[in-house]
Amino acid sequence: MHSSRDRGTARRRTSAAVALGAVLALTATACGDDGSGAGGDKGAEGSGKGKIVFWDNNGGIRTAVWKEIIADFEKANPDIDVEYVGIAATEYQSKVDTAIQGGGLPDVGGVTASMLAGFSAQGALEPLDDRLDKSALNGKLNKDMVESLKAAGGGDGTLYSVPTSANNGVLYYRTDLFEKAGLDEPTTWDKFYAAAEKLTDAGKNEFGYTIRGGSGSIAQAFDAMYGQSGITSFWDADKKKTTVNDPKNVAALEKYAALYKKVTPAADVNNDFAKMVAQWDTGTIGMVNHNLGSYQDHVKALGVDKFRGIPQPVGAGGKRVQVSNPVDGLGVFKSSKNKEAAWKFIEFATSKEQNSEFNESAGQVPSNTEAANDAWIQKAEPTKLAAQALNDGSTTIVQLPYYLPDWNTVSKSESEPAFQKVLLGDMSPKDFLDGLAKKLNEAQAEWSEQMG
Amino acid sequence: MITKEAPAAAPAPAPAAPAPPRPGKKRPAWDEVPRWQIYLPLGIYLVFTLIPFYWILLFAVRPAGSTSLVPWPMTTDHFEKVWTDRGFGTYFQNSVYVGLATLVMTTLVALAGGYALARFDFKIKRGFMLALLCSQFVPGALLLVPLFEIFAGLQMINSLGSVIIAETVFQLPLSIILISNFIKNVPYSLEEAAWVDGCGRFRAFRIVVLPLLRPGLIAVGSFAFVHSWNHFLFALMFLNNQHKQTIPVGLNSLMSADSVDLGALAAGGIVAAVPVVIVFAFIQKWLITGFSAGAVKG
Repeated sequence: MHSSRDRGTARRRTSAAVALGAVLALTATACGDDGSGAGGDKGAEGSGKGKIVFWDNNGGIRTAVWKEIIADFEKANPDIDVEYVGIAATEYQSKVDTAIQGGGLPDVGGVTASMLAGFSAQGALEPLDDRLDKSALNGKLNKDMVESLKAAGGGDGTLYSVPTSANNGVLYYRTDLFEKAGLDEPTTWDKFYAAAEKLTDAGKNEFGYTIRGGSGSIAQAFDAMYGQSGITSFWDADKKKTTVNDPKNVAALEKYAALYKKVTPAADVNNDFAKMVAQWDTGTIGMVNHNLGSYQDHVKALGVDKFRGIPQPVGAGGKRVQVSNPVDGLGVFKSSKNKEAAWKFIEFATSKEQNSEFNESAGQVPSNTEAANDAWIQKAEPTKLAAQALNDGSTTIVQLPYYLPDWNTVSKSESEPAFQKVLLGDMSPKDFLDGLAKKLNEAQAEWSEQMG
Repeated sequence: MITKEAPAAAPAPAPAAPAPPRPGKKRPAWDEVPRWQIYLPLGIYLVFTLIPFYWILLFAVRPAGSTSLVPWPMTTDHFEKVWTDRGFGTYFQNSVYVGLATLVMTTLVALAGGYALARFDFKIKRGFMLALLCSQFVPGALLLVPLFEIFAGLQMINSLGSVIIAETVFQLPLSIILISNFIKNVPYSLEEAAWVDGCGRFRAFRIVVLPLLRPGLIAVGSFAFVHSWNHFLFALMFLNNQHKQTIPVGLNSLMSADSVDLGALAAGGIVAAVPVVIVFAFIQKWLITGFSAGAVKG
């Protein structure tokens, strides 16, 4: 029989164990930091030594190559440690936005053209023009990519992100299916439409094309519109009105959207890139529009002999017109307490050898002009053809207005559901483009007013 | 003033007279129903439910590039890749830690809060209950920046403790309400009898009430564990170090902006799903008992 003293001791032990457990659990996990480094923090130049934190804006698939580059950097700069944090591309912007508001920004981060306007408007990025002028990198970076990032940075021509690579739209097609059907390579829009129709046999679940109807659909639709219409500028001569609802673009979109369910699977209305690419890699679909980034996925799924990736088809005048793909780059966050070390890392990562290694892994066009001549590019056909198309004068790029703070909202969250209505026949292409044009013109007017 | 709430002693209603049999069609007895009428709809439902799981399994175990519809030949390459190369071994440990700590903290605090709501009467009780219910309508994303600032002030950004606390706080309202209903179902007279035998309130609760709350504790604990295991947002936002991230963040990072490794994604999905499936397989009996018991007000 237990005495009351024993019971009291047991009770105290139980209470103490619970309290101790809770305290240990929290103290064991509370080895965090204070999340300093918010948007308004001006940071410091630092000693050029010590630790820097790098946030990769497309973590996961690129983690391995970044870790190799970081290992090489730490070998070359033994006084600097780089902490790598890979963040999924879909969540990167919201994570940086939260850190701008609440603190915890890294020293260096991936900053693509499409993110620049938002980050620079919040004063989160360090201007890099002076550093680049004094750097050995000066003159060795692709001028178009540098200009593209300058233009996207909010409109004052400041460079906030050093380019690492450019992506490009690619038309992937199944060479085996084309050969079997006796079709020509889809190098023109007319050949593209003819092939899409001929390769379709819905009864056998065979389709000529897979269209992107879900997330990311607008850029692809723009590529088809401007590619067919041959219009080479996103704005009119006064830069006040967009050309998206030009009658030629309306006609092009009508033709393109009419492909849905006629030569494409019905499920395409919800296609984001992952579904679209998976569907193409595992099924019997003739063509898909995506970019250089999925080339390795196609190789893994189909091997190199069953498909090719070529630049976008050319239009009626024999001219290829395509919309700009966001240029990827690296920026220094203003709140960094070690900007000198952060800049050293960017210089190293965009040097010839590292930039070549990074882009070989990512299958994209290098920003370092010396790296752009490396042997691997000759072996990766879509990258080689994209680099040629971008550099030989055969392609005109329609620059999308990444500088507009509302660009992502207007072109994605507001327009993607409306485009699905177009595919489903619930909205006409003209109404869709007129509505989009109205929002873009308003955003442009507001931006012009702010810029004086 | 705090007072003890007397247990409701409403007389049991008289059993209703059985309804007279309706003329015409006679409903067949359960054992007279042909088996196919039971198993066919169940089978269709099962196939419909299991196809996505089969799809995940197929992609996880078949070699890259294979289009086979059966998982043969099999490979463990994707599992090895996610577990070692992509750090799922570390993410798994972190998720287990976050899940168990959230389970323990949620259960302990919910027990204390639920007991107070069930056994004491105080002025703001109704308002407090209403506030608990209303807090369920506030999405976590809305509180992200304030929470971030609070944890930054406590120097807890980049610590698993921040995720555990945030998960616990978001689990507590529903857990307290559930536990409170379970405790109300335990007759107050049992506790009183224990007091008469010399127990204090805590000992009476521990010896008499707690064992009867097992279904409720399992329901609350399992939901706390599963929710924190699957929850993505807090771990993404509060943890920056790659070695502290959890399974949902790791899964998300398997999809890049332009490329997705479906084999690795499927293998990662299985790694993420297996513990939850095991947990539910073991506790389903108590879970169903728990919910049905909690649904009836005592």
